Amino acid sequence: MAKLMKYEFRKTMFSKFILLMVTAMAEIILLFGIFMEWENGLAAGSIGLFFCAMFGIMYMGVESLITFHRDLSTKQSYMLFLTPKSSFQILGAKVVENALSIFLTGLFFALLAAIDLSVSLIRIGGLDELLELIKSIAREFSLNPDIPWQDLLLSFLALLASWLMMIAMGYLAIVLAATVFSGKRLSGVISLIIYLLLNWGVSYLLSCLPDMNTMLQNSLMRIGAAFVVVAIFYLFTGWIMERKLSV
Amino acid sequence: MLECRGITKKYGRKTAVDDVSFRMMPGRVYAMLGPNGGGKTTLMKMAVGLTKPSRGEFLYKEEPISGQSRKEIAYMSTEPYFYSWMTVESVGKYYEDFFEDFSMERYQALLQRMQLTPDLKTKTLSSGMMAKLKIAVTMAREAKVYLLDEPLNGIDLLAREAIIKTISEAIRNDVILVVSSHLVDELEKITDEALYIKEGHLAAMWGKDDLYRQQGKTLVDLYREIYGNGGEQPWQN
Repeated sequence: MAKLMKYEFRKTMFSKFILLMVTAMAEIILLFGIFMEWENGLAAGSIGLFFCAMFGIMYMGVESLITFHRDLSTKQSYMLFLTPKSSFQILGAKVVENALSIFLTGLFFALLAAIDLSVSLIRIGGLDELLELIKSIAREFSLNPDIPWQDLLLSFLALLASWLMMIAMGYLAIVLAATVFSGKRLSGVISLIIYLLLNWGVSYLLSCLPDMNTMLQNSLMRIGAAFVVVAIFYLFTGWIMERKLSV
Repeated sequence: MLECRGITKKYGRKTAVDDVSFRMMPGRVYAMLGPNGGGKTTLMKMAVGLTKPSRGEFLYKEEPISGQSRKEIAYMSTEPYFYSWMTVESVGKYYEDFFEDFSMERYQALLQRMQLTPDLKTKTLSSGMMAKLKIAVTMAREAKVYLLDEPLNGIDLLAREAIIKTISEAIRNDVILVVSSHLVDELEKITDEALYIKEGHLAAMWGKDDLYRQQGKTLVDLYREIYGNGGEQPWQN
């Protein structure tokens, strides 16, 4: 499966390179802001990095769906389905590569933030002053400046889990369009409706989960449930591909 | 042994392949003949598992076709299918990554024979060069079954000779070689048996020698007989 993942990574390398370039530009502006004590640069760099992190992670998921659709609807599908690999392995490589890409991108931006924070500490001189500066920037953009770090980490994990859940549903909708509804009129629209219905159904099921004692337990349970949903969708999608998919 | 057992494939209301059955044995070269649109490509794609039949099944070594079968079955599609970012060299590396029976040494030798250089980008190849690349990468595998779909399409006379030579080199006692084409005269010299596919049906299957011995006909004669008048029934008063 590692070899399949290698080629999945290769397919999305260009957009990752673009993200890296834009991030580098935002980082340069931020560093200028820190070293030249240029407040507008500091604000622009911080906001730029924040949006790179958010949209970069979101786009990786969307691109994964676009690539999967292309892999099923063009002759390049032969590159995957002529290999001695099962549909489960092919789909699994896509899911794992996408999850890893999203996780590593998140980690990259977290590390970058930590480095920027350290550089700021050394340059500006004190943690209190730095935090006050970040808070004042956050207040200017109507953001809550007092988010606890533990909640931030849990939010990231929850975001990753729910995003993967959406991707897994997207995979299923694409496979349904290419198999059960293949050749039928409005197959794309039908798949979109199925995707929205699945989304609504899963959200409803997750909202029915019981409340736990602490917020931490609640969050962990919901993250775990999201990963179970991802696994179920993966197995179901692979099963349909194995029996019905013609490329 | 590769066995096709009662295979039917429907696309909506259109039946591409209708209740076809046959067996292919190692050590034989099969020509799958018939005009374009007759169902040859669909049959080959089902044999390698790219297309799922509506009814019936393909078996390889008594087992239904699966990812495992593709370890021993090499398929060359008639359409180009490489990723647009690939070069001739990276196509070889891709095959080396996935197929244990792929020989990079043989691939490089075949590229030389086909006059292709490793640095060429696949998206810039002409149809003739693409056909040569597909043959080179497929025949660089030491597979047990080769399914070659229209390998002579878009190829000039001299290149045809190189391709037929390459295909002939794969003929061994433990290998099933299937070549689909509508250029029956080009294939006759390397073929042992021919399958005549007409409008999704297996119209006839003959061993070349048996056909000549029993009916005094060549594969080309039978082709003319089956597909004469463009495959339509002759006018009768």
